[in-house]
Amino acid sequence: MMVKCVIWDLDHSLLAGVYLESGAHPPPPDPAMVAAAAQLRDRGIIHAIASRNPPEAAQYAAQATGLDFAAAECGWGRKSDAVRRIAADLGLATDAVAFVDDDLYERAEVSAAVPEALVLSPEDMADAVGWPEFSPAVVTAEARRRGQMYAERRRRLEEAREFAGSRDEFLRYCRTEVTITPATSADVPRLHELSVRTHQFNTAGAAVPEPALRELIRSPAHQVTVVRLSDRFGDDGVVGGCVVELGSGRAWTVTLLMMSCRAMGRGVIQALLAWLARSAGQGGAATLAIPCLVTPLNVPLRLALAAAGFRAEERASPGESSPRDNAAGPAMVLFSRPVTGPPPELPGYVVTEASSGVAGP
Amino acid sequence: MTGGEAPEVIGELRQILARATGRDDLLGLPAQTPLFGAGVGLDSLTGTLLLREVQRRFGVDVAGEDLNLDALATLGTLAAFISKRTGGDGHPPG
Repeated sequence: MMVKCVIWDLDHSLLAGVYLESGAHPPPPDPAMVAAAAQLRDRGIIHAIASRNPPEAAQYAAQATGLDFAAAECGWGRKSDAVRRIAADLGLATDAVAFVDDDLYERAEVSAAVPEALVLSPEDMADAVGWPEFSPAVVTAEARRRGQMYAERRRRLEEAREFAGSRDEFLRYCRTEVTITPATSADVPRLHELSVRTHQFNTAGAAVPEPALRELIRSPAHQVTVVRLSDRFGDDGVVGGCVVELGSGRAWTVTLLMMSCRAMGRGVIQALLAWLARSAGQGGAATLAIPCLVTPLNVPLRLALAAAGFRAEERASPGESSPRDNAAGPAMVLFSRPVTGPPPELPGYVVTEASSGVAGP
Repeated sequence: MTGGEAPEVIGELRQILARATGRDDLLGLPAQTPLFGAGVGLDSLTGTLLLREVQRRFGVDVAGEDLNLDALATLGTLAAFISKRTGGDGHPPG
């Protein structure tokens, strides 16, 4: 499993000393750890803090190291709880985080309570930079900005908590812009990365190699689309994409639909599904079909499908159709909706560009 | 089944929904109002928060049992779904 986030202890880990014991002159950062962290940041791995210190310590660490921290848990509770809260807050699975602490007991506590996390000492960390868990095959522009984007996300969430209006009003206030365009070969590395990294919003559950994506972009029978997201807090770049098999019959089939969980709650998946339904209707299709591997992880995607009027196909066996029907593992389920009626409205924050051959709405 | 069969569960669901969406106006939401679409506008984020809290509070895994998430049509249907699995009083079995 690739590590997406490193959660750092401060005292004698990221800092070369103990914050609270140093009075007016807090300890400098540990140069080896900061170098490792910066290297990981440049590979798109984000950083967070779990420290038995007051919150000022996290602010000091950010300023002293020059790193962006996507989350900080400062307090005297269990470190394993801090690790779980950080993962939940960032929308990451706990097997995608590493925890670095110089204290053997803290490491043992986190290892026992969160066995799926990678638990390391600072000495391990210097070496771990070369491990496969920390070495993504591709590093996209989005990946290099990831730490910064999480910092922007924190500011957005803080404002959202204070905001009095509805979610749509907040999206407008943020000047949210969702841009849907045909993919080009320049988008291939990012589309591949999304196919590897996305789980909560992914219909296929399998990585798509770059050559296959290039082939699909060239194919006249397919339409490959990328979705960009930006607002006044920052530019998230390409956050989603999809592959549509245009088919000869009256159905369009979305063979791959994926979105970064960072874009969750910002109207992106809703915009993409509405755009797909409009495009399919205008392209002469009667049905828009989305085969989806149903897993415990992609419940958010099923919620978006339900909200957009998609239904799972009837099962042959009578009774309630349950995702647990297939005890052998996740089941591929065909979700679909008719697109012959009045097309769903596109939210006001969506910008589209017509692709060659397929008219945008 | 109508929502009227589980008024206590509905009351608790209203509070969970208001917290998940950050909207106090939903504390007065009628049991028959659709949760998806205009009005409540349940989406993947608020829906996930709602389902997580329902599982924590009632021990019912709605997403694991209901492929189309039909239980989320209204507060009434969700309360009925939960009551059916908890013996009617909203408390997890056992």
